[in-house]
This record gives sequence, structure tokens and C-alpha cells, in this order.
Amino acid sequence: MKLLLNLVRKDFKRNRVITTALAVFLILSAFFMSGGLRVTGIMISSLNGLNKIAVPPEYVQMHKGKYDEEAFKDFVEKQDDIEDALVVRMLDISNGHIVYKGESLEKCLMDNGFVTQNEKFDYLLDQNNKIAVVQDGEIGVPVYYAEDLNIKTGDIITLRDGNYQKEFKVSAIIRDSTMNSALSYSKRFLISQNDQDELALHMGEWEYCFEFLLYDNASITVLENTYMDAGMPSNGVAVTAGIFNMINAFSYGLIAIVIIAISILLITMSVLCLSYIIRATMAEENHSIGEMKAIGIPGKEIEKIYQMKYIILALAAAVIGYLASIPFGDFFSETVIRYCGYGSSQWMKWVFPFVGVVLLSLFVMFRCHRIIRRNLKSTVMELMRGEEKIKKEGHYSLPSKGFKYRNLIMALGELKCKWKEYFVIFLIFVFSSFLILLPMNMNNTIDNPTFLTYMGIGESDIRIDIQYSENLIEQKEAAMAYLEKDSEIDRYAVYQNGYVQSQNVDGEWKYIRVQNGDNSIFPLEYLEGNAPEENNDMALSYMNAIDLGKKVGDSITVTYQGKELIFRVCGIYQDITYGGKTAKAAIDFDIKDIEGYMIYMDVCDGIDIDKKIAEMRTALPDSKITPVNEFVFQTLSGIVENMSLVEGVAIVISLLLTILITIMFLQLITAREHSAIAIKKALGFSTQDIRIQLGIRILFIQFLAILVGTILANTLGEVIFAGMLSSVGVAKIKMLVEPVWAYLLCPAVQLLVVVITIIIGTKIIRTYHIRDQIME
Amino acid sequence: MIKIEQISKSFKDTKVLNDISFEIKKGDFAAVMGPSGSGKSTLLYSISGMDSISEGRVMFEGVNITLLQESELSKFRLTKMGFVFQNAQMLKNLSVFDNIILPGLVAKKESAEKIRKRASKLMEQMEITGIENRDIKEVSGGQLQRASICRAMINNPEILFLDEPTGALNSEATDQVLEILKNLNQSGMTIMTITHDRRVAAKAKKVLYIRDGQVAACKEFKTGDDRVLELDNWLKGLQFLTTNNGI
Repeated sequence: MKLLLNLVRKDFKRNRVITTALAVFLILSAFFMSGGLRVTGIMISSLNGLNKIAVPPEYVQMHKGKYDEEAFKDFVEKQDDIEDALVVRMLDISNGHIVYKGESLEKCLMDNGFVTQNEKFDYLLDQNNKIAVVQDGEIGVPVYYAEDLNIKTGDIITLRDGNYQKEFKVSAIIRDSTMNSALSYSKRFLISQNDQDELALHMGEWEYCFEFLLYDNASITVLENTYMDAGMPSNGVAVTAGIFNMINAFSYGLIAIVIIAISILLITMSVLCLSYIIRATMAEENHSIGEMKAIGIPGKEIEKIYQMKYIILALAAAVIGYLASIPFGDFFSETVIRYCGYGSSQWMKWVFPFVGVVLLSLFVMFRCHRIIRRNLKSTVMELMRGEEKIKKEGHYSLPSKGFKYRNLIMALGELKCKWKEYFVIFLIFVFSSFLILLPMNMNNTIDNPTFLTYMGIGESDIRIDIQYSENLIEQKEAAMAYLEKDSEIDRYAVYQNGYVQSQNVDGEWKYIRVQNGDNSIFPLEYLEGNAPEENNDMALSYMNAIDLGKKVGDSITVTYQGKELIFRVCGIYQDITYGGKTAKAAIDFDIKDIEGYMIYMDVCDGIDIDKKIAEMRTALPDSKITPVNEFVFQTLSGIVENMSLVEGVAIVISLLLTILITIMFLQLITAREHSAIAIKKALGFSTQDIRIQLGIRILFIQFLAILVGTILANTLGEVIFAGMLSSVGVAKIKMLVEPVWAYLLCPAVQLLVVVITIIIGTKIIRTYHIRDQIME
Repeated sequence: MIKIEQISKSFKDTKVLNDISFEIKKGDFAAVMGPSGSGKSTLLYSISGMDSISEGRVMFEGVNITLLQESELSKFRLTKMGFVFQNAQMLKNLSVFDNIILPGLVAKKESAEKIRKRASKLMEQMEITGIENRDIKEVSGGQLQRASICRAMINNPEILFLDEPTGALNSEATDQVLEILKNLNQSGMTIMTITHDRRVAAKAKKVLYIRDGQVAACKEFKTGDDRVLELDNWLKGLQFLTTNNGI
């Protein structure tokens, strides 16, 4: 064993650069693998922990306005599947009436409800994951606002309407198992019963959440249908546990998925490098291996000698990667910890990455074992003669006329013959470019106003929400009257939302949310087909189409008010709102069935959107008015922030890998070509010529790799991104590329890094003496 | 043509060449002999500027090449010197013909067409026509060594340096190469070669015997083609002197 370790030590000393580069590759692979799994472990533990204490409902139906309390009690008593039920009374207060540090929340798109702590389940928790308790005059603020507006305990929140004003001292930052995420458009503030009663006398509107816990194996869909069929209060959104989980997974899990995807790329790169380096170094060791075989050392012993180095490397990388990923994983888990706490299964954040790095090490060792064994198969004489098992490289032709660009001609000619040797570095450059562009393009796509198109909305400037109100019609009429008169409004469209029932593929009747309005004013890009034009046309969101088993051209039967309506599916679009399940059709809902109105509008050229919104908020105080770009930003800002960080890390890692692989490759290639370099020098090529030729070869390969990487990031990247978003209702996504960055600056930086590396890495050729090279 | 003035070369504490001086005149054919490790190859590479020296200077037609920059030396080697190595060192990704013309194209003294024509003519002279487009691994050692000589001659150098040109050849191929060297020298080419082979040295006009990094003896042949016997006697005497007088 001591002898083996001595051999390894000597080998490390002799091949310092290559060993270091390889070690960095392996450490980064282990680091990202371990980091991604740590984030996953923390996320699962946090969500489980929060759910365990908060006990979220499995089905929630929202409703505004009066309801029959007795009928609801009766309904609950008659249902065998219901384990428990409660009615959460939410006092909805307009954002303009909530003031923090002198500014109202009117720019926020969230609906804010003021609630008291629940008694049976769906508890609101404090930052210690304890059931939050507030006294009179105190308030618990949703963690979303604490993060967004930097609200801390001890701060003051003021509620103001006309002459009435009440101040609350922030005593808790609230974790809400159902409405935590920015993707959920309702937020709950916790206040005392006395304060809620007092507030209700002066401001706000009551909204109710009818919440249910079900027994194991009970079907949410059955309950949903029974509830609707029984005519229970239901003029608001219905949300199921599946949707809560999906929203949480998207909000907190996307980063973990991206980090793990990066680690898989890095592992592939490491294994490619390993294979190449092992083959290259073994080729140099052929003679020694032949001698060992000749004196009778068994193959297994020789294998041990060569495998030991890689086993030590893999294990060291695993340990370093695991340890280094602790702060890294914690950093990317800050959001989920802030929103959900540490959770009850903290062992996951230690065990998941441990299992990951162990599997990675085993995989690396297995690969080494296979490559080394394959290389040891040659006979003693083959090894002693140094016969490499490579196919003939062939030759290229010099031009018949002129030799002006001799370095270019020779570099490309040699590349043509040796392209197999360059395949590994090509792949690594492709991955490297892909690694930079994928997070960058993903971030650009999410951070662009056109991302709205994946939220089922056409591009527009301003959105007005008129929802859950007892005087919906009046509010809508007021808004329309205002818009008609305002010459600064270029165009607008009014949509009404309501529910109809349809059968899914399992034959279950489900409620689907339908939007009715003119779809031609703010057109949406359709995955297939087009927007409804005829009265019997219905467009389905991608997830609804899957759920209902419908394609474009199919007919779909829905029931509304007990009548069957037959539509033709005219198009499928993408929508990540309302759990990804919406539809568009010309259904004229009864006023009592209209859940709400949405008005989208564009202002005339040159009109300041923010000013216009401020003006409209004064004129239409009861409506929620939001700039559309803010809608995307507020919904996805948390994700975008984390994605930007991942993007930065990916760029740094990718450039580092590019430098490492270039140095490593230059070392190997100059060692392999020492005789050719000497011949060229003897023939009159200067050191600079030789350095330029090596540089051209690598840069040409890198240029091709960047092209391929860019194409892959735009094509395969789209598929990967759509895959990540598929759970929330996106089937196909068009990557939005920032051309200056993606096509100019990024490639330029990558090429520049390689040029500098080549200049430094080929300096060694100056010290090569022709004599030493030829006489070796 | 080349004046070697008191050159010395050391590797760490070992002196490989020690205060060597001699001259090669235009049209000379000089052979350097000596036991293994005596410093023959080091001397050749030092004179041709392929290796640095520790002391002394090498004057090539009045130019002190030891003072030249790396790029100037490259140009000098390209245009004024030709090299033939023991194991015909050729670029494996070029055909035999392209290996021959490469120094010509790099030097750019003449048009590509002229260089190609001369390469064909040289190949004809060396009797290796028909292998132009072959890979260097597809021809025999003798053919490859003759192709190396063609390559060395492509820029009409002023001197041809050869390092054990027949060391890796069988006797038939050796005879062919010797004949070529003789003809080249007769046509005015200056040649300096390192060799262990008496037959090669016997073709030279001047033989230097190197031992322990110094010129132990020098012999100039006056006339006659078959100098093998004369050389043998000289070497025998040299051996005697070496053992008894420690030259």
C-alpha cells in the first residue's frame, strides 16, 4: 500500500497541471451534485415541516358575499369523505388602504385579506414555525411582503380609509402553507378578533375560504363536484392541494433542478476528461506496463497501480465537494427556509448530498476501472513497441498555389487528420457554452414582459381586475365609461370569467374556468390552432387539454346551468395561472355566475404608464389596477433573483472549466506532438508559428463548439426549460435570447479567455530544444 | 564557410563540449566520429543553431549565429541549412511529397510551382518517384531517408547537416544514401555528418574524431574513392593512441 501511495505521489508531482485540472473538474461536479441535492433536501424538509404544523387544507373554495351558513353546515355533515372543515373569514382590504412607511401597497398585485388565527387547521405560523399569536393592535405580515418591502417586526402598518385610520405593530412574520408563494395572488395578514371586528365596521369586504380536510383515499374531484352540485358558495377561485404543491415545487424547486442539471453537465464533462486523460497517460506508460507484464506482475496489480490515483482523486473530490456545498446549498435555500422554515427532516440535507457524492465517486471509479482494463489488454510486445491502438490519422494536402496563410493551412490540415483527438475538448467547449447560455436564456425569458404569453395573457400595458365583489357590474360599467372617455387609452378589451363543467379522461366531471371576451384585441400565441372566432369555438389551456384528453378539432361538451353546450376545440394555449387549467370561449355567463372581470388595455404612444395608472387608481378606487410588466415581475421576481445568481455562478464555473480544459489539453497535446514540434522547428518554423498553429486549432474547435452550444441552448434548452415548466402548464417555450449577450459578448469572452490561456499555456514551447525533442 | 571558435557546452556540471574549434570550407564533406556519449550530436546541433552553447561562437559566412534571435535563427536554418536526421523525422499528417516541399513553401523564395517541380526532380534523382502521395508510414526506411534528403535540399541550402543518416537503414539502403551524398558533394554541396559507420566516413574529405567533448584527432583524405582501408588504419591507430596516450 505504501508503495502504491508513493507511486501516486510521484505521479501527482510529475503531472501537476493535468492532475490539478482533473481534480478541479471532479470537485466541481461533486460540489454541484451535492449542492443541488442539499437544496432539494432542505426544500423537501422545509415544505414537509411547514405542512406538518400548519396542516394545509386539501380543498379550498373562495367566495365573496353572503352565504347560507346552515346549508354549509348541513353539507359538511352529510359528506363522509370530509375529515374536517372550516370557514375562514377574510376581510379583504384594498391595497391602496394599506400603508407602510408612508406608501400604500397599491402597486402590489396581491389581494390582501385580514384574518384571525384558525382553530382546527390551516394555521398561520411565525418564523419559528409556531402557531402565530397576535394581540390587539398587533399584526402578522406575510413573509412575501417582509421580503419584498423589507418589513421587520416592530414596524408599523397603517390601515386608512377616509377619516378612519388604525395602526398595527408588526409582531410576527407569517408563513402561510397555502398562500406563501408569489405565484399565489392572495396574501393573508393575521390580526386579532377584536381588531378584525373593528376594521370591518370601517373598511373592507368579506371574503370566505371554505376549507376542507379529507380522509385518506378520498377524492378531491368528487368533493369539488359534490360541492358545486350542492350549490354551495363558489364565486371565487377553487384551489386543491395538488395546485398548492405544484406552485411550491415551482417556486422553490426550480433552482434545485437547475443546479442538479448543471451538475449532470459537469459530471459528463469530468468523465469525458477522465477518459481522455487516462488514455493519453496510459499511452505514455505503455512501455512501463509492458515491462511490468513481462516480469510477471499480474494484470490486477498493474490495474491497482493506475487506478489508485483516480480513486484518491474521486474520493478527495467527493469530500471537498460535499463540504464546500454546505454553504452553497444553504445560500440557495435561503428563500425556502425564510418562507417555510428548516422543517422536520433536516437529516435530508446531509444524507441526500452524501448519497449523491458516493454514487458519483462510484461512477467515476467504475469508468476508470473500465478504461484502464481496456488499455491493459495489449500483449507485452505491443506495449513495449508502443503500438498505439489508434487508427491511421491520414494526411492532408498542402495547397498547390501559394502558402500565404501557412499557419492557418497547417493548423486546419492537422485538425482534419486529428479531429478525433479534439472531439473531447469540442464536447467540453459545447457543454461550457451551453452552461453559460442556458441559465442566461432562461433568465431572460422569465424576466421579459412577453413571458405573459405563458400566463394566458396577450401583451398589453395595463390590467384591471374587478373580482369577488357584490357590485361587479357597477364597477365594470364605471371602468368602461372611464376608458371610453379617456383619449390616452389606445385600445382595451373586457373579459368575464366564469365556470362550466366538463368530463376529464377518467370520466370525472370537473369545473373549468372560462374566459369570455374579444381575443383578437390582445392576441395570444397559440401552441396549436388559434383563438376562438366562432360562437362554438373553445380554446383550452395546455394542461386542461391534457386533463380533458382533447386535441384541436375535437368536440367538447360542457354543462352550464344544467344545459349541455357543445364546442369545437379551436386552439391550445399555455397558461401557468390558476393551476394551468383555463379555457376561452364565448359563453355568456349570468351575472350571478360571473366570478370577475378583467380589462386589458394599451395606452397611446408617449403616454407614461405609471402616471396613467396613478390617475386611474384615483378615478376607479375599487378596482385593482396593475401595470402588466409588474404582474410578471411580482409573480416571478423571487425565481428571477435566484436564476440571476445561478446564471452568474454558471458563467464563472464555465469560464473556469474552459481555462482548465484548455491548459490540460495543451499539456497533453504538446507532449504528444513533441516530435512534430521539433521537426517544424528544425524546418524553420518559429516558436511563434507553432504557438499560432496550436492556437488556431483550439480556437477553431471552440468556435464550432460555441456555435453548436448556442444552437443547443436555443433548441434543447427550450425543451429542458419547457420540461421544467411543464408541471405548471407550459408545454413549449420560446427562449428569449438577448442577442448582444448571447451571440456576441458571451462567445467573445469565451474566445478571449481561451486566447489568453493559449498565450500563457504555449509559452513552454519556447523552452523546447529541438535536439531534446528529436533525440528523445 | 563555418568557423567554430572555442565552443563549449555544459549540462549542469558536466561539460559535453569542451573548447572545440575547427573550420568547414565550402564544398567540404566533413564526418564526425566518436564513441557514444562523446558529444558528436551535441556538436552538430550546436553548430546548426538548433541548440545553444555555453561559450565560444559559430560564424556562418561571417555571421555569428550564436547571437541571433530565435526567429532569425529559424529563418537562417530554413534558407541556408538542410537537415537529415537519423530516423527520418517527417510530419505524419503530410504526404511524402508535401513533407518535401514544405520548407520551400515556408521560405517563399520561389513560386509554389517551381518548388513542386524541383521536388519532383529531386525525387527523380533520389530514385523515389511513385511514392509522392503516400503516407509516410507506407514507405520503406530507405525511401523515407532519401525523401528526407530531398526535403533538406529543397531550398538549395549552403550546407547539409546529417545526423547518423544511415543509422536506421539496411545495407542496400545505406549504399543508396551514400551514393547520393557522394554525388551531392561532387556537385558542390557542403556536407557535415555525424556517423558511426566507417563507410559513410570513408566518403568524407575530412573526419573529426570526438572524445569526451573534444576533437581528439582530425584526418583529411587527399584522393581516391575507396578510403575505407585508410580510415580503418587511422581509426586503429587512434584507438591505440587513445588507450595508451589518453588523447
